[in-house]
Amino acid sequence: MDKEALILFFLSAIAIVGIGMLLSWLVAPKSKNIQKKEAYECGIPTVGSSYMQFRVGYYLFAIIFLIFDVETVFIFPWAVVMKSMGMTAFIEIIIFFGILGLGLLYAWKKNALRWD
Amino acid sequence: MSFSDFLLMRNELLLVAAAVIILIADMSFSDENKRGLYNISLLTMIIITVLGFLPAPSGKLFGGMYITGDIYILMKNILNIATVIVLLQSRGWLEKPGQQKRMGEFILLLVSVLIGMSYMISSGHFIMFYLGMELATIPLAALAAYELNKSKSAEAGIKLILLAAFSSGILLFGTSLIYAAAGTLYFEGVMAILDSTAFTTLGLILFFAGLGFKISLVPFHLWTADVYEGAPTNVTSFLSVASKGAAVFILVIILNTVFKSLNDVWDPMVYALIIITITIGNLFALRQRNIKRFLAFSSIAQAGFIMLGVINDGGLGMATVIYFVLVYVFSNLAAFGVAAAIENETGKESIDDYNGFYRTNPRLSLVMMLAMFSLAGIPPFAGFFGKFFLFTAAAEKGYYILTLIAVLNTIISLYYYLLVIKAMFIDKNGAPIGYFKSDTAMQVSLVICILGIIVTGFTSGVFDYMVNLSQQFFLTLQ
Amino acid sequence: MIENIPLSHILIFSTLIFFTGVYGFLTRKNMITMLISIELVLNAVNINFVAINKYMFPEQLEGHFFTLFIIGIAAAEAAVAIALFINLYRNIRSIDVDEVTEMKH
Repeated sequence: MDKEALILFFLSAIAIVGIGMLLSWLVAPKSKNIQKKEAYECGIPTVGSSYMQFRVGYYLFAIIFLIFDVETVFIFPWAVVMKSMGMTAFIEIIIFFGILGLGLLYAWKKNALRWD
Repeated sequence: MSFSDFLLMRNELLLVAAAVIILIADMSFSDENKRGLYNISLLTMIIITVLGFLPAPSGKLFGGMYITGDIYILMKNILNIATVIVLLQSRGWLEKPGQQKRMGEFILLLVSVLIGMSYMISSGHFIMFYLGMELATIPLAALAAYELNKSKSAEAGIKLILLAAFSSGILLFGTSLIYAAAGTLYFEGVMAILDSTAFTTLGLILFFAGLGFKISLVPFHLWTADVYEGAPTNVTSFLSVASKGAAVFILVIILNTVFKSLNDVWDPMVYALIIITITIGNLFALRQRNIKRFLAFSSIAQAGFIMLGVINDGGLGMATVIYFVLVYVFSNLAAFGVAAAIENETGKESIDDYNGFYRTNPRLSLVMMLAMFSLAGIPPFAGFFGKFFLFTAAAEKGYYILTLIAVLNTIISLYYYLLVIKAMFIDKNGAPIGYFKSDTAMQVSLVICILGIIVTGFTSGVFDYMVNLSQQFFLTLQ
Repeated sequence: MIENIPLSHILIFSTLIFFTGVYGFLTRKNMITMLISIELVLNAVNINFVAINKYMFPEQLEGHFFTLFIIGIAAAEAAVAIALFINLYRNIRSIDVDEVTEMKH
């Protein structure tokens, strides 16, 4: 019983994606020209390879984002028990947010968030 | 649980408060003049260090996740002292023009590492231990790569973070096996349940490998020399005393509590590690010409000596470990302080450059000489007593051959420690390092180190106090 | 449904991932790949903890929470490591371990 369910699950997953792609291939208008294969279709021919290096500034934002993003992992369990734990849990999360906010403030003050 | 229970975490809470203060202070001082920031940080750290000596309550917090007691406080005090000395030594380097802008980062990372080490020592649960260990490692990698435009520094940071992450992964895998065997992650619970099977042995070995990396015992020492050489000298000194000391402390605690029932498994393991660590550390130290690399290999050998106290698995062993780390803090920081002063002034790191140093800078040479004597274990300095007690601890359990090998290695180590002294006092040099005056903070730190070397060596009360506390610790276990 | 899979299968799977990670860390030359290998090791540990918790000790959630902390710390570690890679790249224009040979004894 379980095996069938699993197979059905995979089949339906493949089917949903496949049908979507098939439909778009059938319905969508097709244009065949050289610009189609360029990295940006904005009318201006690209100069050089489109495999270029990205600015290091992106990484800085990504790293700061990453840290704050992962902290949500600690907030979910807190949200589950927040009601039963009452005031203590609330104060603890305030301290947690306070330290996180201080970190953001520090990054801001050190011009890590400036784009230039 | 009431809020007064949080007083048990006094040291850590104060350190966290200090970190927040430093963070805010860093934001409020201008980039060009950070002297005020340095003074504030130093003052807070000194206050915390002094407060650490006040009597503190002992007990448990968060259902046994956090354990404290007199012996834990003692260990944390040693680490606090080491941090204050490192902070004093790095003043001249931090206040160099152009460096000042990033001074706040250095101090903040240093304090974060100290917080991590404190939590690691006091942990009573594997999650707490892991968190503390990582907090004590990740900022260290950033510190090692502190000098942004030096490729050596960048290299050191990368080697440290990659190998630290890898070794903590291995440690965690071992922890997961122990969890499977015990069903709990509380140290107390694991201690009560764990028995010696192939499964738990594998867990112990993986766990030990992870910690062995931090102490840089020999099969896991490959990162040490490169990181020590590449990192800024002040960071290296912190890495070699505080980081290593904290790891040794928690290793002693964990082996004697959590893995107590696996005693006959880790005893031969430690036995073999001691022999190869001391021997290889010594042999490699012989051929180093760079002072930081030389001290790196000498610190590997010293780590092997420290393990002699671990193998004793009793009150005496623990006391000797703590005593030796205290002595090691003073001696090694004195040596690194002189090396840092010279590097700051002239940028020279090679032992050959030290030729004729005594003629131009007699006082610094004397400090270096004392440090080397203490590291080599020449009586009447503290290092001698440290090593002597370690040998006693190992011999007490009947490891006579091991003790003999360690003693023989002490003689080899004497040779290379004396090489440095020979370079400074006897060797001729056409162009020795010129006379210079190190800054006041450095002088104060060196005086503290020298006093430490002499006082801990000559007052027997220090060691008695440690033995007393360790025996109490072992009594509460039963 | 998952109950039909025995614990041993999951543990064998996680051990395979663990050793894949160890192998990758020891043989790869690119530092980003080495970091990915470390993540593999940590994920093997995560699988271990969750599976052991779920199968053997379902009344406590310690294993699950350990996993959460490992995820959080792995992110911090990756952030610092990548920042250090960028720093190294600026210095020597490469993140290949074979190029990082300034300190050889």
